[in-house]
Amino acid sequence: MAAEVIQQLLNWLVLGSIYALLAIGFSLLFGVINVIHFSHGDVSLIGPFVALAIVPALGSAFGPGGSVSALLMSMLAAIFIIGILGVVIERIVIRPLRDAPAMMPLVATVALGIFLREAIRRFYPQGSNPQAFSMPFSAPAFSLGEVAVSWFSVIVLATTATLLAGLFFFLKKTPMGVRIRAVSQDREAARLMGVRSNRVFQSSFFIASASGAIAGLFYAGNVGATRFDFGILAGLMGFSAAVVGGLGSIFGAVVGGLLIAGAEVLAQALVPDGAAYRQVFAFMMVIVFLLFRPEGLLGKVVVEKV
Amino acid sequence: MTMANQSARLGPGRATALVVALETGLAIWLYLFLMLESWPLLLALLVLGVGALLYMQRHQAAERAIIDSFAQCKVLSMVWMSVLVLVFPFLLQGNTYVLHLLVISQLYAVLALALNFQLGSANIPNFATGASYGIGAYTSALLALHWGISFWWCLLASAMVATLFGFLLGIPCMRTRNSYLALVTIAFGIVLQQLINNFSWTGGPNGLVGIPAPTLFDHSFADPIVVFGHSLPSQVNFYLLAFALIVVSVIVARLLHNSRVGLAWNALRTDELAASAQGINVTWYKMLAFAVDAFMAAFAGTIYASYVTYISPDNFTFLVSVTIMTMVIVGGMDNVLGVILGAFLLTVLPEKFRIFSDYRLLIYAAVVILMLIVRPQGLIPKQLRRYKG
Repeated sequence: MAAEVIQQLLNWLVLGSIYALLAIGFSLLFGVINVIHFSHGDVSLIGPFVALAIVPALGSAFGPGGSVSALLMSMLAAIFIIGILGVVIERIVIRPLRDAPAMMPLVATVALGIFLREAIRRFYPQGSNPQAFSMPFSAPAFSLGEVAVSWFSVIVLATTATLLAGLFFFLKKTPMGVRIRAVSQDREAARLMGVRSNRVFQSSFFIASASGAIAGLFYAGNVGATRFDFGILAGLMGFSAAVVGGLGSIFGAVVGGLLIAGAEVLAQALVPDGAAYRQVFAFMMVIVFLLFRPEGLLGKVVVEKV
Repeated sequence: MTMANQSARLGPGRATALVVALETGLAIWLYLFLMLESWPLLLALLVLGVGALLYMQRHQAAERAIIDSFAQCKVLSMVWMSVLVLVFPFLLQGNTYVLHLLVISQLYAVLALALNFQLGSANIPNFATGASYGIGAYTSALLALHWGISFWWCLLASAMVATLFGFLLGIPCMRTRNSYLALVTIAFGIVLQQLINNFSWTGGPNGLVGIPAPTLFDHSFADPIVVFGHSLPSQVNFYLLAFALIVVSVIVARLLHNSRVGLAWNALRTDELAASAQGINVTWYKMLAFAVDAFMAAFAGTIYASYVTYISPDNFTFLVSVTIMTMVIVGGMDNVLGVILGAFLLTVLPEKFRIFSDYRLLIYAAVVILMLIVRPQGLIPKQLRRYKG
C-alpha cells in the first residue's frame, strides 16, 4: 500500500513538473503577445522528433559506447532548434497579426498547430506511427521504501526546479527580463521608453519554445513514445495548468501543473477504469476553477479601466 | 446616409444586373469547380477566384458598389439565389459525390451561421459548436434507434437537449472572457467527446449504426425524388432539407441582427463594460448567444445523423469546432453571406485537394493562416449598421 502511494506520488510530481514547464511557456507568451499561443503544445512536442532525427547522425560520430552522450547532445540540439522554430513562428505568423483583434492570432495559432502536426505526420519518416522514445536514464537512482526511483524522475524534477529558478532570476534581474516584463505590462509605454519590442518578442518566443521542447522531451520520455498528435493534449494540459495557477506567474505555473497532474493521477488511481477518464477529471477541475476563481490561484485580478 | 455612401450607389437597373450576374457567376464557378476533374482547369478556376478577391482588395470602390447593390436588392438576391440552389441538382447529372459535398457544405454553413451569433455578433470564442452538433446528432440518433421516434420530433428534442447543454456551458462562461473562455469551451468539447467515447450506451468508439431516414408525407428520404419524370438521387432529399435549414437560419440571423438582441450582441463585441454601463444585461445576452448557437447546431446534427445513418465520436472532435470557427473568420464575421461562402469554400476546397489527399490538412491550415494575414476582415467583411431616417 505504502509503496503504491509513493509510486503515485512520484508519478504526480513528474507529470506536474512537465505540465509546469509547458505552462510557463504559455504564461510568458501570453504576457508578451496577449494571446494564447495555441500551438505551443505542438511546437514543444516536435522536440522529441528532432532529437530522434539527430541521434543516428551523432551516434556514429561518438562511436560505440557513446550512445548516452549522443542522445544528450541531440536533445540539447533539439531544444535549441525548437527555440529557433519559435522565433521563426513569431516572425511569420504572430508578427503580422500583432495589431489584429485577439481572435485572429488565436485562430492562426490553432491552424498553425494543425500545420505542424500534419507536417510531422507527412514529412517525418513513418510520421503517422508512434515512435519509441526511451530516455537513457531508466536505471534506478535510489529507492524509497519498496519503490525504486529512476534517474529519469530525478532528472525531471531537478531540471524543472533549476529551470524555473533560472527563469525567475532571468525575468527579475537581467536587462532582457526587465524588458520582457515591461512589454507585458504595457507594450506602448515600453516602446516609448526605448524598448525594442521585436527583440523582446523574439527572445520570449525562444525561451518559451526551448523550455517547451524540454517539457516535450520529458513528456515523450514519460510515456516512452511520441506521436505526431501528442501536442494537442499536452498543450491543453499545459494551458490549463497556466490558467489554473494564474497566467503570468511562475509559481502559479508550478501550482497549476501540480493540480492538473494531481487530478489526472488521482482519477487514474482511484476511479475504476479511470485511465480512460483522466482528462475528463482534469478538465472538470479546470471548469470548476474558472467558475470560482477565473483569474487563477496566484493570478492578479485585473481591474479594467474604461 | 452620408455623401460618401451616395456616390458609390448604382442605379436600380445596374444594381439588379450586378446582383444577378454575381450570383449566377458564383454558381457557375462552384458548378465548374465541383464537376471538373482536370487539375490544370481547377487550378485556373482557383487563380480566377483569388484574382477576383485581390481585385476587390485593391479597388475598394468596386467592393462598395457590390455591397451596396446587394443591400439595395435584398429580396431579389434572396429569390435568385434560391432559384439557383433549386436548379442546381438538375445540372449535376446524378453525380452523388458532388451532391454529398453540397449537403455537407450546407450543414456546415448552418453550423457556421450558428457560431456566427457568438463569434461574429458578440465576439465570444466558442470552441464547442462541434460538441453541440454532436449532442444534436447523438440525441436524435438515440431517440430514433431506441424508441423509434420520428425524425421531426427528434429534431425538436435534440434542439432542446442541446440548448440545455448550451446553457450548462454558458454558466462557467459567464465568469470568463477571451482566452479563458476559449479554454472552457475547449475543455467542454473534449470532456464530452471522451464521455461519448467511453460510455457504453452511446456505442463507445464504434458509434451508432442504422439511424433511420426521415419520412415526409409517406415519402422516405432514402428514396430518390421524381420531378417531371426526372429521377434525382436520394441525396437531393437531404440537399433540399439542408437548404430549408439554411433559409430558416438566414431568416433567424436577419431577424436577430435587426432586433435589440443583435444590437446588444454588437455592443458586447465592442466593449463589454460600456455595454453593461448602458444597462445591457451582459450575462443574459451571452447566455442567449450560447443557447441560439446550440439550438441551430443541434438541427444540423440531427440532419447529419439521419443523412449518413452512422455517427461516431470521431465526427465531433475539437477539429470540427476549429473548422467551423475558421469558416466564420475566413468568410467574414457577422456577415451572413460571407459566413455561408466561407463554409462552402472550406468544405469543398479540402475535398478537391484529395488529389494530393495526404497533404490536405496541411494545405488547409496554410490557407487559413495566409488568409488571416492577407485579408483578416474575411472574404466579405461585416457591414456598418444602417439606420433609416
